Amino acid sequence: MLYSAISAVLFYVFAFAALLCAVGVVAFRNPVSSALSMALCFGFTSAIFFNLGATFLGISQIIVYAGAILVLFLFIIMMLDVKSEEERGVSSFVSTVVGVVVAGVFAGLMVKAVEALPGSKGGRCPVHVLVESSGELCVGEEAEAAAQMPKLQPYGGALPALQLPEKSSDTALLGNTLFSRYSIPFVLLSFALLAGSAGAVAVGRKLRKD
Amino acid sequence: MTPLSHYLIFSSILFAVGLAGALMRRNILVVFMCLELMLTAANVSLVAFSRAQGTEGVPVYDAQVLTLFIMAIAAAEVAVGLALIVAMFRARRTVDSTSLNSLKD
Repeated sequence: MLYSAISAVLFYVFAFAALLCAVGVVAFRNPVSSALSMALCFGFTSAIFFNLGATFLGISQIIVYAGAILVLFLFIIMMLDVKSEEERGVSSFVSTVVGVVVAGVFAGLMVKAVEALPGSKGGRCPVHVLVESSGELCVGEEAEAAAQMPKLQPYGGALPALQLPEKSSDTALLGNTLFSRYSIPFVLLSFALLAGSAGAVAVGRKLRKD
Repeated sequence: MTPLSHYLIFSSILFAVGLAGALMRRNILVVFMCLELMLTAANVSLVAFSRAQGTEGVPVYDAQVLTLFIMAIAAAEVAVGLALIVAMFRARRTVDSTSLNSLKD
């Protein structure tokens, strides 16, 4: 009980910190500050992954984003010497207004949609309503049609407690799924990474003048 | 303890902040960072759904595999995108996205 209460409080703390750092990415004028703020944001996001029980993803979030991607960004910022450029007008007034309005409308829509999830307070899933009303059009027995109706997951209450099987961990189960059902996509993914690195070299090399 | 909706609201606000940054900022490096923020927001909601859809306390690991794939693709995308930014800097001597207007003229 105490454990779950602490993890709930920690979720809000980390979520708030991550959002603060995300705002920092947008608001800082210096790109180096933006990059470091992004790394902090990814660190807090990985804490949220740990909170959700996805330990392997949390670790790889830190390694991939806060490690590799951050270093790439900082490297490019230093290589391009962006700082020496004069910061002429971070953004125009019009684009600021457009950005804030679009993002605000998007966030409002998403929150509205989340509140309408089946099982939540006042939740009313449009698909469910459709299926219910289509029951009147059914030819056969009404109970039979109701039994065929897809069962909706109740998303309202607290998340179910994590109960992994004996002698297995999050990483082991993730690996089982990855290397059994998704083994071919995994191989294709490695080709995508290879193509990405080869493409980066091809695009980034100096153009020969001839 | 924490319901699914709070994770989803966190993820959508994170996405909205990234979207606002991508629309507002003119430094193309910062726009690129905001794209990464949006990818991470999608990852958070995927992992939260994998917990919520799970039966008997075992999450649905397909969603987490998808998250892993998104991370790998994001890494490849950052490599290619930064190479493109370097190429743009070589051609224009700036990373201001408003300088990319030669198709207009």
